[in-house]
Amino acid sequence: MDSSQLILTLASIVLVSTPLIIAVCGEILTERAGIVNLSLDGTMLMAAMTGFIVAFETDNVWLGFLAGMGIGAFFAFIVAFGSIRLRQSQYAIGFVLTLLGDDLSAFLGQNYTRIPGPIIKHLPIPVLKDIPIIGPIFFNQDPVVYFAFILVAVTWFWLFRTQPGLRLRSAGDRPEAGFARGVGINFQRYLYTILGGALVGIAGASYSLNIKIGWSEGITRGLGWIALAIVIFGGWSPIRGMFGALLFGATKALATYLQRTFPEVSVVAFNAIPWVLMILVLLLVSSDFTERLVTIAPKSLQRPLQRLLRVSPPQALGSTFVEE
Amino acid sequence: MQEYFAKHPKVWRAFDIFLPFLATLAALGVGAVMLMAFDANPVEAYGALLEGAFGSTNALADTLVKATPLLLVALGICIAFRGGVINIGGEGQLILGALGATLIGLSFPDLPGYLVITLALITGFIAGGAWGAIPGFLKAYFNVNEILSTIMMNAIAVQGMNYLLSEPMIDPVQLEAASRIPQTARLSAAFDLPRLVPTRLHLGTALAIIAAFLVFIFLWRTVVGYRIRAVGLNPNASRYAGINVPRHIVLSLLLSGAFCGLAGAIQIYGLHHRMFTDGSATGFTGSAGFNGIVVALFGQLHPLGAIPASFLFGALIVGANKLQRVMQVPSSFIIALNGLVVVFVVSADYWRRRLARRQEAEVVSEMTASSEAEVPT
Repeated sequence: MDSSQLILTLASIVLVSTPLIIAVCGEILTERAGIVNLSLDGTMLMAAMTGFIVAFETDNVWLGFLAGMGIGAFFAFIVAFGSIRLRQSQYAIGFVLTLLGDDLSAFLGQNYTRIPGPIIKHLPIPVLKDIPIIGPIFFNQDPVVYFAFILVAVTWFWLFRTQPGLRLRSAGDRPEAGFARGVGINFQRYLYTILGGALVGIAGASYSLNIKIGWSEGITRGLGWIALAIVIFGGWSPIRGMFGALLFGATKALATYLQRTFPEVSVVAFNAIPWVLMILVLLLVSSDFTERLVTIAPKSLQRPLQRLLRVSPPQALGSTFVEE
Repeated sequence: MQEYFAKHPKVWRAFDIFLPFLATLAALGVGAVMLMAFDANPVEAYGALLEGAFGSTNALADTLVKATPLLLVALGICIAFRGGVINIGGEGQLILGALGATLIGLSFPDLPGYLVITLALITGFIAGGAWGAIPGFLKAYFNVNEILSTIMMNAIAVQGMNYLLSEPMIDPVQLEAASRIPQTARLSAAFDLPRLVPTRLHLGTALAIIAAFLVFIFLWRTVVGYRIRAVGLNPNASRYAGINVPRHIVLSLLLSGAFCGLAGAIQIYGLHHRMFTDGSATGFTGSAGFNGIVVALFGQLHPLGAIPASFLFGALIVGANKLQRVMQVPSSFIIALNGLVVVFVVSADYWRRRLARRQEAEVVSEMTASSEAEVPT
């Protein structure tokens, strides 16, 4: 593999990782507010299907993205309404919506499978694209890719450097304290669940309008679950989540490469390895055991290692809050 | 309305029990609108569905056969959810159970049928349980989110199944014919689960119903079952009461997986008589591992509630095939309808609880009013 090929591969890793980055940012906003939207897998399929059909019928890619956003927001609204107003298990509702989205998208999109449709245009950024190595990888892409990276920065800034971000985090970490300070906890939760769902919708639509071009049954199946795992791996931080998504994209590319290089090894092994790795990574970042492992390292390295390896969820994640 | 219910508690109880069915009807109403959007006559469509599910002895038997794995998976899901863990790994656990049971049948072709069947069902139970215990162990001792780990265990199980069925366990006939369809040889006919009536209905259905009662007794009439439910309701309180919380988390996921594994074993010995794959999980499981969750939720996470719930969903699935043939409506419509049904039932549950609360408040206010009247002045 020579250097120009390597750069092409890296650019394609960035491209295929963008829907994951967008979905991860959306879910981080939702979970930071204390709600788990488990419906990601179904939502992305629905958004991919709706986005493609709308873009195909109107011949306008942006309307497709808008439709995907709407679907994502609607599914997220059901999760929020079910858990806040109806006090049902948000996991159960999310899971049922996952199944519903999977089947409904197959049913409603059946007349639009495997046909070419509109595609988002390439938009190289002048000057920046001529920077060696970085230019072709990051600045010779389409607008959705740029949007994803801007989104990461904006989400991070919003969460950790602004007043509204503080209110948002209070809803997920200390709802009682936030409520005592005058934060409408359930309003925050509705708002960021719906906003996060809209972002997940963009992620789904970008799949059928940008990466795989076109709709076929179950094209994004599995990605929603991966996004949920990356949220945990990313410690509920958009920047770390972005690296997680890129890392996953790179692992996939590596698996494809290895598969071509070693055709005698069963394809099954390469299909299973990403999932095994995911479980191991979750084990590493979630377990108390890691903390004890870190103490073996030299003193000066312990704190940064700890920060690198261990994550903890928003404290009130998944709980219901009654405003009284 | 609540005044009427307060005066007639029996009517209230009947209404309470039938509310899920009313919700189902409402969901079917929404489905009718969807059908009309696809230029199908809803009356004809639902007629075909009913006929497909209950129209003949064979249809009814097929409904029961389809309901069997759903019921067993739902029992497993009940245990997990009652224990406070969410098991989405039913598909993988079912596959593991089926693989284990098939291995037994292939390894001992000469032993008597009753022995092999018993051994195979136990193996399926254990294999599914082991596959469920792994995420349970990771959850209890390493704090790994069980929703995600069970989903990933599904994917791993599917890849393992694809490998086993295309290499070591493949039918020798397929190997010779070079068509290499990934499936095992048919198990000896002596190992078929006995048929109950001359239809496809097999002993597994009866076993599943017995299992439902056993799970009910286990969860509500034994100490271990009580502890599992206590951990599910409040892990901290359970810990202070001296219950070993991690151990019971592992146990509830283990048992949950075990019932899913049993479902897989019964699918092999009662229905398919061989293991096969189409490369994805649904090829063999028919999504029973996922739909079982829906059934459990519909049955309000009660083992006995799961019996009618699984029957209803079995009917929907079998009826869907007929619907597809007669009306050219894709069968995914029915699965979408399943989701709608659950969403409606879940919202109906909220409505039910609100009515119940108001009713209690009314009774209390009446009681206080009457007791005030009795106070001598």
